[in-house]
Amino acid sequence: MADTIIDVLIVGAGPAGLQAAVHAVRKKASVVVLGKVAHSSIYGAHVENYLCVDGVVDGADLLRTAVDQATRFGAEIIAEDVLHVDQADELFKVKIESGTELLCRTLIFATGTSRKKLKVKGEKELSGRGVSYCVDCDANFYRNAKVAVVGNESAAVDGALTLTGYASEVHLVCQALEVGEGLAAKLTESSVQVHAGRWPKEITGENAVQGLLLDDDTSLEVDGVFVELGAKGAMELATTIGVMLDLDTFSYIDTNKRQQTNIAGIYAAGDIAGPPWQMAKAVGEGCVAGWEAANYANKQKRQQKED
Amino acid sequence: MASDKVIQVSDGDFDARALKSDVPFLLDFWAPWCGPCKAIGPVIDELADEFAGKLKIGKMNVDDNPATPGKYGIRAIPTLILFKGGEVVDQVTGAVGKKQLAAMIEKAL
Repeated sequence: MADTIIDVLIVGAGPAGLQAAVHAVRKKASVVVLGKVAHSSIYGAHVENYLCVDGVVDGADLLRTAVDQATRFGAEIIAEDVLHVDQADELFKVKIESGTELLCRTLIFATGTSRKKLKVKGEKELSGRGVSYCVDCDANFYRNAKVAVVGNESAAVDGALTLTGYASEVHLVCQALEVGEGLAAKLTESSVQVHAGRWPKEITGENAVQGLLLDDDTSLEVDGVFVELGAKGAMELATTIGVMLDLDTFSYIDTNKRQQTNIAGIYAAGDIAGPPWQMAKAVGEGCVAGWEAANYANKQKRQQKED
Repeated sequence: MASDKVIQVSDGDFDARALKSDVPFLLDFWAPWCGPCKAIGPVIDELADEFAGKLKIGKMNVDDNPATPGKYGIRAIPTLILFKGGEVVDQVTGAVGKKQLAAMIEKAL
């Protein structure tokens, strides 16, 4: 896998990502979809406003059909989150939960959006004063300090592991971990203290974080609390390589009508590309993104053959 | 495009540029590895152009300049601090939109 270059790599296994896969693979591009279908926001939803599907249907059933379709056409689906994205000349290098690095010609961000705030007492007041939402940005401020990371998924576990390289003590507070085996194994081997089955009740401190109060009323004495809910999204993955977000809210990726971002070879589709948060819109954008990305990859391959 | 009105500030010239500025001074603490810092870059540039004459905007790389972020207790980036007459009048952390930043500036002018 490490030696093959994937034509179209899609981050996110919801309606936008799977539709992109169908269109890209039918244009004879090699396609890999990364992500967990059950984490798509449509998975637990009831759908009744999607054209040609009359009555109320389970989002989970629709996605199962979509996965079968995309797989049958030839797309490969890997149920892992992305931890890091890098540019490598004309290609992109994507590191996933297992630690494997994938090389691709194009990238489609179809990760959806997820809740980032914890919504507990002290969080807003101490934001920037010990409460952080980006381990990759702020780990350096916590050299030899004590920190806690909150979250159940790959962003939290990867964040906790990163922090072991800076902080003297790292706690991970999680209800139940939902990560791949590779990442889980690394966590077990690490010095991270895992508080499973727990969740924060309050972040304490006057002008700076001093502790994290858990729901069993135990308290962790920490200088920093990193809130890392869900998988890494647009803010964490895309902006580090220079992908531009909307300038009013910085919450979604800016695209044109061809679903292109400001970086050649990178596309975005679905909720991550902005409202309305509708499956029909996600599927439409996925179609365009998959189509465009496959064309881009195919053209790049032709050019490289000529050179 | 990067605005030529954005001033690069270091630990060495922080007092002279930010604290002793004749107009309010908005300082953006950032680092090259920080994605959200890159994301707000264009907004910082636009604000520097739009408020030229009424407000100065500077950027400080926290990687090269550890003293000033330490002094102001900065533990997350991007953090923007608005100084007026040498005092902190407002501060915000994270990638916040242009409207919110413009409102924060207007309030201080």
